[in-house]
Amino acid sequence: MALSVITRNVWVLLGHIQRRAFQQSARCVSQAASKAEPAVEENEAVNPTFVNRNPRNLEQMSLAVKDRGWKTIWPHKEFYHRLVFSRTQHHVTAEVFSSSSLDPVLTCSTKEWALKRELPSTNCVAACQAVGEVLAQRCKQAGITRMVYRAIPWSYRSDAVQSFRKSMKDRGIILSEPRRKYIGT
Amino acid sequence: LAPGPLPNQDIDVKNLESLEKYHSYKRYFRQAQEAHNKPVWWHTYRKYVEKANPQVDIGFPLEQPNRTKQVKERKQVMKENKKNMELERAARLWEQTSGPHHIRRLAEHYGIYKDLFPNAFFLPIIPLKVHYGQNSSVHYGNILTPTEAETAPQISFEAEEGTLWTLLLTEHLLDGEAEYVHWMGNIPAGAVQSGDELCHYLPPFPPRGTGFHRYIFVLFKQNGPIDFRDNARPSPHSLEERTFKTVEWYKKHQEHMTPAGLAFFQSQWDASVTHTFHHTLMKEPVFEFIRPPVYHPPQVKFPHRQPLRYLDRYRDGQPHTYGIY
Repeated sequence: MALSVITRNVWVLLGHIQRRAFQQSARCVSQAASKAEPAVEENEAVNPTFVNRNPRNLEQMSLAVKDRGWKTIWPHKEFYHRLVFSRTQHHVTAEVFSSSSLDPVLTCSTKEWALKRELPSTNCVAACQAVGEVLAQRCKQAGITRMVYRAIPWSYRSDAVQSFRKSMKDRGIILSEPRRKYIGT
Repeated sequence: LAPGPLPNQDIDVKNLESLEKYHSYKRYFRQAQEAHNKPVWWHTYRKYVEKANPQVDIGFPLEQPNRTKQVKERKQVMKENKKNMELERAARLWEQTSGPHHIRRLAEHYGIYKDLFPNAFFLPIIPLKVHYGQNSSVHYGNILTPTEAETAPQISFEAEEGTLWTLLLTEHLLDGEAEYVHWMGNIPAGAVQSGDELCHYLPPFPPRGTGFHRYIFVLFKQNGPIDFRDNARPSPHSLEERTFKTVEWYKKHQEHMTPAGLAFFQSQWDASVTHTFHHTLMKEPVFEFIRPPVYHPPQVKFPHRQPLRYLDRYRDGQPHTYGIY
């Protein structure tokens, strides 16, 4: 009985409150939320504007601004997250950067004791593959599954980079980013 | 007159042959990256965006064993490894060695420290494992559906006998108010079921159209049993009673507890959210995204190559769209 009353109220409300808007306050930052409930009716009144303070919300909905331009230089900066893979003489490092931070968000390298202990050699193709698999698992646990990876062209064809790329893709990381949603898209 | 040395000032332009050559792209690329990240005296976009707020560490200090001994032991293990060519993964080792630092970096990227404790951070040294059923578990930024998170999760963490812990689940919403959906205090070591449940579990309800919300589990270690009776919420609840500020609550009990573990997940709207709204809270709100206004530069007296509707953009005292970002 009470249930049918509630559902009828809900339909009415959806008819009225179809378009409650929430604002974006700045370029890359998420929207703000104001969901105060005055004591008029218990839990019934909702503030019309809602601001979401999750910094990753806009880019996950592909509404955040990408840094366009930079087309005359390499690498470009039009991404939300980028993947950097570097091989030095003794170690192999893979890092994920976001467009707004100097420090990497996620790293995986053979310098960590957890990986170093398991690998016989820290700069071979198998080490690159291991780094790729571990980084893919960490990215999936962190909720970052789409990133841009642009390797230096002549090293891209090497076995190590190919095996790293293959292990990332096999574990479910997509190495391209969604296109941004403009007005009308 | 420049307030500092100009870049490439000390290169002798007339004698370019005497300069040291790079001989490889990699060497140049590495030097270029270091030069890009070096702090400079001229104005950059990075300095404009960076906020230099002093950060305070409110967690436990990390215990580092003697470094030289550690390095010796590790070198021995690596020698033995070289003879044995099999590969394995060790996730447990990561949790103890570099796990806390990685989780802390991710939490800063997600803005969790900024929202929960302004101007403070902590290193989550205790690995906190939260599982919703068989398949879904909460790591650091996972995406879960509200359907999976409908029932209360199973929580496990390593703890010595005799220690007391507090677990808090928040969803930070407003400019200073967090909404807490589940909270247990005075948990004896290891057994989450036998703690005092101060507020029972409310499944996450991200409203439709608002995108992804973060739900944060924080584990505090208590020095002794704490009286949470003024914070206890009885079973029939309302959203108003559930709103509270983590900062104020933590300041009240600051001396008796320290944050030690962290886990968070994201979730979006789902059909089960409608169900939660109707049965527990209220009528379900639906939101739509407002885009920022289209950018127009300041008005110029003689606009070059602009259409006639250029004047419509600045007519009738409309708010200007430059300088709002």
